[in-house]
Amino acid sequence: MRLQLIFLTVIGLGLAGGAGVWQFSKIGIHQSYSPKQPIAFPHKVHAGDNQIPCLYCHSAARTSRHAGIPPASVCMNCHNIMEKQTVEIEKLKEYVQQQRPITWVKVHNLPDFVYFNHSQHVLSGVACQRCHGPVEHMEKIEQFAPLTMGWCLQCHREHAKVGVTEFERVSADLKQRQKPAAGLDCASCHY
Amino acid sequence: MDHHGETTPAGRSCKSSKDLLVQIGGPPVYWKSVDELQNGPRVTGEFPGGLPGGATSGPRAETTRRDFLALMGFSLAAAGLSGCRAPVQHAVPLLVGSDQIVPGVSNYYATTCRGCASSCSLLVKQRDGRPIKIDGNAESSLFGGGTCAGGQATVLSLYDDGRLKGPLWQGKSATWNEIDGHILQALNDAQTAQKSVVLLSGTMTSPSTRAIVAEWGRSNPRFRHVEYDPVSLSAMRQANKESFGQAAVPHYSFDKAKVIVGLDADFLGTWLSPVEFARQYASSRKPEKNAALHIQFEPGMSVTGSNADVRVPVAPSQLGATAIALLRRIAHKAGTSGPDQSADPVDSARLDAVAEALWKHRGESLVVSGSNEVAVQMVVNAINALLGNIGKTIDLARPSRQRNGDDAAVAQLVEEMALGHVGVLVLYGVNPVYDYPDSQAFAAGLKKVALSVSLNDRSDETGALVNAICPDHHFLEAWGDAEPVESNFSLAQPLIAPLFETRAAQDSLLRWMGREGEQSNYYTYLREYWRKDIFPRQKELPSFEVFWDQSLQRGVVTLASAGGAAPGPIHGGWQEAANKITQSAKAAPQGNSNSYELHFYESVALRDGRQANNPWLQELPDPISKVTWSNYAAIAPALAAQLKLENGDVVALKAGEKQVELPVFIQPGQEGRTISIALGYGRTAAGKVAENVGVNVFPLTALAAGQRRLSAVNASLASTGGKKPLASTQTHFSMEGRPIVLETSLDELEKESEKPEALPTLWAERLQGEHSWGMAIDMNACNGCSACVIACQAENNVPVVGKDQIERIRIMHWIRIDQYYSGPAENPVSVHQPMMCQHCQNAPCETVCPVLATTTSSEGLNAQVYNRCIGTRYCANNCPYKVRRFNWYNYTDNPKFDFNMESPLGRMVLNPDVVVRSRGVMEKCSMCVQRIQLGKNLALQGGRPLADGDIQTACQQSCPTQAIVFGDLKDPNSRVSQLQRSQRNYQVLEDLGTRPNVGYLKKVRNPMERS
Repeated sequence: MRLQLIFLTVIGLGLAGGAGVWQFSKIGIHQSYSPKQPIAFPHKVHAGDNQIPCLYCHSAARTSRHAGIPPASVCMNCHNIMEKQTVEIEKLKEYVQQQRPITWVKVHNLPDFVYFNHSQHVLSGVACQRCHGPVEHMEKIEQFAPLTMGWCLQCHREHAKVGVTEFERVSADLKQRQKPAAGLDCASCHY
Repeated sequence: MDHHGETTPAGRSCKSSKDLLVQIGGPPVYWKSVDELQNGPRVTGEFPGGLPGGATSGPRAETTRRDFLALMGFSLAAAGLSGCRAPVQHAVPLLVGSDQIVPGVSNYYATTCRGCASSCSLLVKQRDGRPIKIDGNAESSLFGGGTCAGGQATVLSLYDDGRLKGPLWQGKSATWNEIDGHILQALNDAQTAQKSVVLLSGTMTSPSTRAIVAEWGRSNPRFRHVEYDPVSLSAMRQANKESFGQAAVPHYSFDKAKVIVGLDADFLGTWLSPVEFARQYASSRKPEKNAALHIQFEPGMSVTGSNADVRVPVAPSQLGATAIALLRRIAHKAGTSGPDQSADPVDSARLDAVAEALWKHRGESLVVSGSNEVAVQMVVNAINALLGNIGKTIDLARPSRQRNGDDAAVAQLVEEMALGHVGVLVLYGVNPVYDYPDSQAFAAGLKKVALSVSLNDRSDETGALVNAICPDHHFLEAWGDAEPVESNFSLAQPLIAPLFETRAAQDSLLRWMGREGEQSNYYTYLREYWRKDIFPRQKELPSFEVFWDQSLQRGVVTLASAGGAAPGPIHGGWQEAANKITQSAKAAPQGNSNSYELHFYESVALRDGRQANNPWLQELPDPISKVTWSNYAAIAPALAAQLKLENGDVVALKAGEKQVELPVFIQPGQEGRTISIALGYGRTAAGKVAENVGVNVFPLTALAAGQRRLSAVNASLASTGGKKPLASTQTHFSMEGRPIVLETSLDELEKESEKPEALPTLWAERLQGEHSWGMAIDMNACNGCSACVIACQAENNVPVVGKDQIERIRIMHWIRIDQYYSGPAENPVSVHQPMMCQHCQNAPCETVCPVLATTTSSEGLNAQVYNRCIGTRYCANNCPYKVRRFNWYNYTDNPKFDFNMESPLGRMVLNPDVVVRSRGVMEKCSMCVQRIQLGKNLALQGGRPLADGDIQTACQQSCPTQAIVFGDLKDPNSRVSQLQRSQRNYQVLEDLGTRPNVGYLKKVRNPMERS
């Protein structure tokens, strides 16, 4: 009886400890984070059903480290002439009429000690979906990838120019005309 | 040749005239402090004299093991809890988008610096609507792309908590309308009472503002404009009026001079237009190009003196006699009668040699004097006229407009104020209660003025006594223009909307002239002024709109001269001037053994003190003494030994009725009986940073013959027995007797035809990437001005740590300028060496890091990964260059470090592309890796390969002399590769096998010897 009690306690503590370690390993990872937004903006309708290119709204992604959330004036480019009205579109129009900027909740957050640049990735031909997932099917936007360093490096390793043989080096050089090599140096992202 | 001849004030003396223009020969022995010179190099660890801030000096540790465990448990739990929920972050896009503002992309706008009256053209980086980095405008033919330390720091002065948030009436906040009402009323009253209206401003380089002032003068006959510079060139203007009939400051061309003689004019550090002169000087001093010879006569060691081929310490009272001695010799050579015979103040043979060199290069030489004595300036004019330099290296037809202050006019104004004749006094950019010699007289006069208004940005010493303060914008918030040199224009445009309820000074002036609405808008006025007065003077562009847009974009417009007459031959009068100097020297009371001369100078960091509340500048080590956070009494080593004074001993200095107490600093090269003290310190109402820093010595300057004297004779010195430690970084890191700086001569360079082979290495060859970033630093071009130190601080979010931490050897600057002396302590020669992470390919720091927080990248950068660093500090101990900096505290948002990073306003200057480091991590120069990444990205965006020069590091960009060149060592044609292949190139401590990517070009001494 007493032995059993000890046995159960050990197992219980072990499980609790394991759960704790597992929980600790998740600190700072917010995969599938999907906060409520001031306007329930459906990416599915825009990027999916109506096939608006990502870069139409997130135009800064071509030139800036930030993809940028479009100014309300960009929304109004279409919604000025669209007949369809919903509660959410009314909200948008109210913001514009009241000259009030919209306070969105940021979904993809990186720690301060990482430098990430959207334009570098967009210009290198990385598809938006590679990191952001099937946005065109998402009714409500959520964090698709874990955004951990290991996850970044997985892709960077695939696209790093590591030429060992002469042939590999030349072919990597040729490929590089289109796509620059992904950096594997610490200083590629940490400064 | 007799090498054991008599000792001269300049140290060594030889008989041949050729050797008189050489200050040192043979392999020099370097030292950094007088102590090191006398006692030899000391082998020290990271912390000479024990661990700073350890058990002896820091607060007593009272944490027990129990507390530690409890705290650790708590922090673990806290970490776990906080990890469960991330803080919600928001993103607020613009309501209406703009094609010009892209979040995360920097824009650059051309403007004009108002840090001092030199009015350098700038290109300012604006990020997400905030100006965050200042750089020179490379389009400017005058200033090039360089800046000075003060100019670099002006961006922090924009985000200064000491600035006023709105206008004040009688010390209380009021609306602009109320204040305008009071002032318009007072102007009316002045009109009725027939009292004068005076605008007292600093040098006004803005032509459009001058036009406003002139209009005011036309509309009100009782209006007068007086220009006031605390450190003026008033005597030079007066002397030029008497010599050439033109009260102007000439435009100098140091680049055209083959022989330069400076008489206490610190033209590379603070005098007139240092950025421009440093650029010119570097171009004429290239060793490959038969470099110019530079002789400097000065009392205290200045940046300029430290770069001279020959530096002769001369007491301030003897500078006039030195000029006369030179004039007599040159007049003799020219075959005209010179000044009467008088005793030479310095070694006659040396003066002969200097005169000989000047005469040999007539028409391509230049003698400049920083003296504010009319007679001395007239003698200097006579020297330059006899040498035929007028119109060649000295341009009076296109004069400089950078110093217009008139000391006599200011003195007259103070008298008028005392008599109660002034009805309204408007103070614009001046603070006479702080910097006027008789500030009490000024303050008393101010009380008799019916209404006084200050346009300064803060309630400063003068602001506390005026009726109204109508704060002007910071120049980064304002429109404007400048004409630093006749017909060389520079436009200024706002980089940010005004942060506070301030108003452009010109708007205020227009308003007080009685204009309303659009008519009182300076921007409208400025455009109209340019349309009417500047646009018609050019022929290229037919439309004003195009001309305006292009001028605004480029920032600079250079036009043909408006037709100033070239000066005629020199008028007489210099003989009388020379006699006056000689006689006054004779009449001066003979000093006793406790009689010294005082010499006041502007420091490179604080200049006249207007940016005293800027923590970057307060913490900038002085280029010569490396002292931070204080001014001091610089005394000669021999005098210190005689009086048994040490660094930091407080002495009382008394000149006339006035006395100051200052800590002593033993300065090699200081004239034996002269004590040099920096102006600009001791501000009492500049803000919390400047409080209790140093002592104000402006009260010790006095007016003599209508001109401000920046020296005093017959001063007494008494030790107070007190001690006030000076935070100097000069001896922070010892050379330990190793060869860090190398110099050579051109002859030697020719002999060394083959470079020694690279040392073998035990390290495995590492995989190399596409680039190998490196640097070449030219120690001939570097003059020590320290602009790069502030540029690096601004670019890389380097924190300010304060005096106490610097005393503990914890300064955080990523780049420092090491100052090495060689030769005798009475008058050594100096070498300035910028030192930052050398980016070793076989880095000693890397091997000792237990967590791989520092690694060499595939592109040759030694990278520090802050989030990996656990703060063992092994790397700093193992770094032979001592360039690693440890965050002993959190310097951000920490009330104990109440500098710019503590306040939300001050943090607006931070560069968002660089991490703000936290406590417990190591940091160091990253070779501006954020700029490298950006450069690569921009090339990618442009679909072009990266070109040499696309990427500039912050230090390189700020350097007025282009002493720092950054680039790709893998590209054999890049400038850095070419320089590193040069015969002069060496790597510091090459024999350690660290293989740094930073190379230094040896200093070449006295190349003039060849001609």
